[in-house]
Amino acid sequence: MVMAVVAAAALRSSSTRLSRLLPGVCGEAWGHQARRGAVLRVLPFIPTQDPDVIKKMPEDFRAVYPEFLPGPKPEYRNRLREKLERQDMLARRSVMPIPEFYVGSIMAVTVADPNASGKNNRFVGICIQRGDAGLRAWFILRNVVDHQGVEIKYEMYSPLLQSIEVLRLEKRLDDELLYLRDALPIYSTFPLDMEPEVMQEGAPVPVNPIKVQLKPRPWHERWERKNLQGVMDLGLPERFYKKAKLHEKPWEKYDLMKEYRATIPEEEQADIFREISPHYPLMESTRRRGKRKRVLPSIS
Amino acid sequence: MALPKLQCITHALKNLSLLSHPDQRALVCVNQVRAMSRVKRRHTVPPFWLPKTTRTMYPEHMTPENEVFLKDVIEEKYSSPLKTECWERGTWAKNSMRCGLIGRKIGIYPMWTKDGTRLLTTLLQVSDNQVIKYIKPEDIVQGKRKRYRELGALVIGADHIDPRIVTKEYYSVFSEAGVMPKKKMSKFLITPNAKLSPGTPLYASHFQPGHYVDIAGITIDRGFQGVMKRWGFKGMPASHGVTKSHRRGGNIGSGGDKARVLLGTKMPGHMGRERRILRGLKVWRINTQHNVIWVHGPAVPGGVGSYVYIYDSVLPDHRHTQENHPPFPTCFQDEEEVEEELYDQELHTFREPSVQFVEK
Repeated sequence: MVMAVVAAAALRSSSTRLSRLLPGVCGEAWGHQARRGAVLRVLPFIPTQDPDVIKKMPEDFRAVYPEFLPGPKPEYRNRLREKLERQDMLARRSVMPIPEFYVGSIMAVTVADPNASGKNNRFVGICIQRGDAGLRAWFILRNVVDHQGVEIKYEMYSPLLQSIEVLRLEKRLDDELLYLRDALPIYSTFPLDMEPEVMQEGAPVPVNPIKVQLKPRPWHERWERKNLQGVMDLGLPERFYKKAKLHEKPWEKYDLMKEYRATIPEEEQADIFREISPHYPLMESTRRRGKRKRVLPSIS
Repeated sequence: MALPKLQCITHALKNLSLLSHPDQRALVCVNQVRAMSRVKRRHTVPPFWLPKTTRTMYPEHMTPENEVFLKDVIEEKYSSPLKTECWERGTWAKNSMRCGLIGRKIGIYPMWTKDGTRLLTTLLQVSDNQVIKYIKPEDIVQGKRKRYRELGALVIGADHIDPRIVTKEYYSVFSEAGVMPKKKMSKFLITPNAKLSPGTPLYASHFQPGHYVDIAGITIDRGFQGVMKRWGFKGMPASHGVTKSHRRGGNIGSGGDKARVLLGTKMPGHMGRERRILRGLKVWRINTQHNVIWVHGPAVPGGVGSYVYIYDSVLPDHRHTQENHPPFPTCFQDEEEVEEELYDQELHTFREPSVQFVEK
């Protein structure tokens, strides 16, 4: 145990060194890791020394396109299958660009729907969760329509999707916003005719520090045990916090094996990035175009 | 019973008709006695009469130059094309049976059809499949039915192994055909018009998108399991006075006249690691460059990385017709141009534009 703690401390110090080297990449990745749940966790990635690859590859690739990293379970992994899957993903992205987005971003998705009038359905909402890797990647949008909470899970690579727009690109303090289900409806209400917001090209993705007021219990989950950052004081009696304290697992962040099993080794990440680096120009151009589009309405 | 081991092996090989000396084939290993009332369904070790594949390695103290030389020799020996001349290729007729392929399950991922329906597909990689031997109908064990008396067999091997690590007996199986020793072998029953000369490579394009296949494999080994996992029993309540039997099966038989447990009663025991055949799976897509076949559904027996055997479907609805039959006896990919990606007509390829519904 002591060994593990020492090793973890060494690791942390190395990560701080890394974050000094690569500002804006490692720091945020490590800051978020402690609170990550169902979302795939990734180690800080040190770019290769190959100058060609460095030129082509954006530094924050893992954060922008997390579904390109395969699921970490060794019993389900196969290099050829992953390669074919990535080819299919890139093929789909060349037809329908998938913009950069995060949990907390406000998005609009248009889907072909045989039962809708006009055969298309557009939904606006906040992304509350994002998961899975490869062609199975999905995200959940939430909104309150006519005082009724609505959540829709979209598969990112489904050909039914006509377009994905990001109306407001931002992050929140938590990696999952499932607690919005138990928050006051105002926090997940967004107008369906929302305008895309202005954002400067190349600016870092802002983090929205908003704190959400939850409704009184009963809740879907015991939020006092989840170490949430983006909620106001829960206002519970002392016994709830005592119980939460008992269920805490503060040692897990030092569990190197757990970390190892939940991540793709760094060398393999480099291989994957190197493999798709010829396609960066395409992906980057869609990313940039998306941002410029958002600038246009404000000018007019 | 006291046959020396090697002799036993050769006997067994003759039984399997892998060695060719028709005059010696009459020698059958008759000493084998099965004492069990029922034949075991699973074995943890291969049967003793199968020849050992790999030999015991010992230090040979080879110089690096010798290593390189050996590698060159192996490369030279196996890089040459077919040793024997190609046999005359048969043509398709009603009730013809082609050989199948040995594949490897490499994963599962979703695809979508042109009407937007999502389906899970299993990816099967066909790696280094080659014909090793053709066995004539009169040389294999005769069946009682006329249909089976007319069938020959092709022995197919998959995945190369280093010829330096295999035993002499195992190597001799392949040296006749002049192919590299294989990791996995299987015998496929065929009609004589589907015979192929030894050494012929087989590719994923042996099948075509839109056709149906049967897939056999060994299911995942789950070990000794209780009735809830093995047979889907409901178990017993979690509370209301139930103690120590929440996951037990309960009663297994009545008293009275029967006074015994009926045969086949569902009870705890070993689960998985059995040969299972899944029939009638549609081939959705084929990659001829990597030799990968996408078949319908996530339920192909075995885990990721396990070997499976792919056959033309025997289901009456999926039989081939004169107009619509796959390449016969196989697709000779080296001689003709084949597209890299073959898709079923109904499948949405990711390069196509998004699915849209038209208003009527």
